[in-house]
Amino acid sequence: MMPGQEGDEALAVAFAAHDPKAFGEAYRRNAGLLYSAAYNVLGNADDAKDCVADAIARLWRSPRAYSPQRGNLRNFLVVCVRNEAISRRRRAARRSRMEERVAGMRDDRDDPPLADPIERDRVRRALLALPPEQRAAIALAYYEGKTQTEIAAELGEPLGTIKSRVKLGLRKLASALELSTPVEGDGR
Amino acid sequence: MIDRHIGDLAELYALGALDESERGEVDRHLLHCAGCATLLAAAENDVALIASSEPQRPAPPELQGRIDRIALAPTSASRPSPASRAWAFPATLAAALVVGLLPSVYFWIENREMHGEMLAQRAAMERIVTSPHRTTPFTAMPGGSAAQVSYAPDGSWYVVVVSSISRSLDVVWMHDGKKTMLGRAAPRGNVAMLYLPKSHRMDKLALMDGDRIVAQAALSWQRTAPGRRAARSA
Repeated sequence: MMPGQEGDEALAVAFAAHDPKAFGEAYRRNAGLLYSAAYNVLGNADDAKDCVADAIARLWRSPRAYSPQRGNLRNFLVVCVRNEAISRRRRAARRSRMEERVAGMRDDRDDPPLADPIERDRVRRALLALPPEQRAAIALAYYEGKTQTEIAAELGEPLGTIKSRVKLGLRKLASALELSTPVEGDGR
Repeated sequence: MIDRHIGDLAELYALGALDESERGEVDRHLLHCAGCATLLAAAENDVALIASSEPQRPAPPELQGRIDRIALAPTSASRPSPASRAWAFPATLAAALVVGLLPSVYFWIENREMHGEMLAQRAAMERIVTSPHRTTPFTAMPGGSAAQVSYAPDGSWYVVVVSSISRSLDVVWMHDGKKTMLGRAAPRGNVAMLYLPKSHRMDKLALMDGDRIVAQAALSWQRTAPGRRAARSA
């Protein structure tokens, strides 16, 4: 049976076994979600396309990156694509800072955030329901692509505190989104 | 870092808050630690949920062709390079040395696996304590044992717990006249637990002792009333 005709479980097994058809099929089933995940970080269609292609190529070159213990293949791919997008965004920000410095144009403002980063109803509502210190840590990580070290410096808190705020905040945010997710007919 | 479990870094990794070198270290650790892979799966589920709640755009059609071409390219894993062939003899010698060290390595791995299982169990318990879920008992458990499955309303995770059990039981998904093996619940003390991050809803699970089905559970996926948390037990 072709991977395209099988369920998600079988596709994950074929993907872990480095089956070329499974790579194409895994992308096909999640194309919109993966492209959107990249676009929402990068804010640009061309960059988003390159990012998704590079993330998949990186996985293809690392045959052991995914294993069934890693859980849901779709979630794994979303995180891979987002991480690739965040790396690209950080590199672009570094390049831009360097060019500005060379041109003597650098001012002290922060890098501009993505256009309208949290004006996204469900997520925004769930985010606003978090305690402010957890909300700040999650927003800096998820929407601004800051590293744990940068978040700790920006919020003036020890790294350990940031880790526990992110852990608790993420769990609460996901829980709130789960509750507001419409239940589909049969769910498969 | 590569030999340390990822602990609190799981959420930071999934959110993208690690720099590239930290992420690389986690990736290398995950190659040989199933417990941490399971821990990370839970955090990835949370981040994917946020990502899927954001505005969605259709992917450009031409991207599918690019992806298909990527998967046609040979990888270093599928075609040995001349350099790796040159290393074949030293690698054989190294393998012989490893064989000599096997007993102590075995105990080291055992210890790591136990730690991995503990982390997976901790992830399961955190899920049950902090996330809305439903719980359904397995019927007809033999010999005074009891078993239940707790599961997320969207089917993103399942935790099977069997009490008063002294041997491992396989957990299978019954569907379309088939049985799909999901994993093995192995007892620690007299309780066995299996945490299953999944992508879909499963209507019927069974516990198997060898080839024999010993208990079954029928899961309910009815919508909960608006504004109410999902039932803690069904």
